[in-house]
Amino acid sequence: MAEEGRDSGELVRRARAGDGGAWTELVERYSALLWSIARGHGLRDADCGDVVQITWLRLVERLDALDAPAAVGGWLATTARRESLRQARLGDREAPGPAPDAAGASSAAPVEQVVAGRERLCRVGAALQDLPRRCQHLLRLVALAPGQAELAAALDMPVGSLGPTRVRCLAHLRRRLAP
Amino acid sequence: MSGPADEAELAAGIRAAFLAADPVPEGVLAAARAALALRLPGAALAGLAADDASAPAGARATTATRTLTFTGGGVTVELEASGDGEVTGRLTPPSPARVRLRRPAHADRTALADEEGCFALPCVGEGPVSLVVEPPGGDAVVTSWIRL
Repeated sequence: MAEEGRDSGELVRRARAGDGGAWTELVERYSALLWSIARGHGLRDADCGDVVQITWLRLVERLDALDAPAAVGGWLATTARRESLRQARLGDREAPGPAPDAAGASSAAPVEQVVAGRERLCRVGAALQDLPRRCQHLLRLVALAPGQAELAAALDMPVGSLGPTRVRCLAHLRRRLAP
Repeated sequence: MSGPADEAELAAGIRAAFLAADPVPEGVLAAARAALALRLPGAALAGLAADDASAPAGARATTATRTLTFTGGGVTVELEASGDGEVTGRLTPPSPARVRLRRPAHADRTALADEEGCFALPCVGEGPVSLVVEPPGGDAVVTSWIRL
């Protein structure tokens, strides 16, 4: 994970120098995590897209001033989490009350789309669907975060304190995957 | 059943399941790749200092107008975004300036701030926006990206 951090720091330094390829690598490394953070706040597709876009634009405006380029992943995750909270509150204001099912379908339970929308569903996808929403989200972030720092930033809690929940969620999943 | 190899395999399975079920749309990735072109080296950043959309629901005014304040580069930019898409603003200290509205994938638009530092941009619409404030003879200040 330390190596991952060094890599990202190097990509930031190259992007600062105008290297578009390095920027694209950063985008590919972290966008799925940022999207998942937004999803975890119950946001719909358009709002998740806005959160991801704003997060990258914020990095662009601070690219030269970023104190710790190697910690860019944690910085991105923190920015996406805060922006998701703001977006969720704006959404509350614009549309009070629960979102209609049609509009909120994809944000409500992404995993269910595997089951509903795809002929060839993988066993893990089906098993994830049976887990409590909190476990789904935690396991998603654990699987997508390149390192512990990103995970801690995405959840806004020390990674150490996640241990028991994570173990319980994994045990849940394993029981459903057991033959 | 729960060794490190199994753990890594399970994590890969979880990752694959979510990437298949809920992938980042290509348009979102394209916008992220294009973001680097919006870099403005040399402009001072005015960061978001206050946004009434950040207030908890109960502590917030219930009007359709959102108020934002940006500070940095020796300037304070106060914005009011009304429900009909108009953005009005005020620069402190008051000064005439060119105010350029930036939106990704849109042409820039310009307004002129008057002697009191007041300016207006009608029909801004929703989405990410940033303003570049260019006082005559002074250094440019750019406001942090926000979503309207």
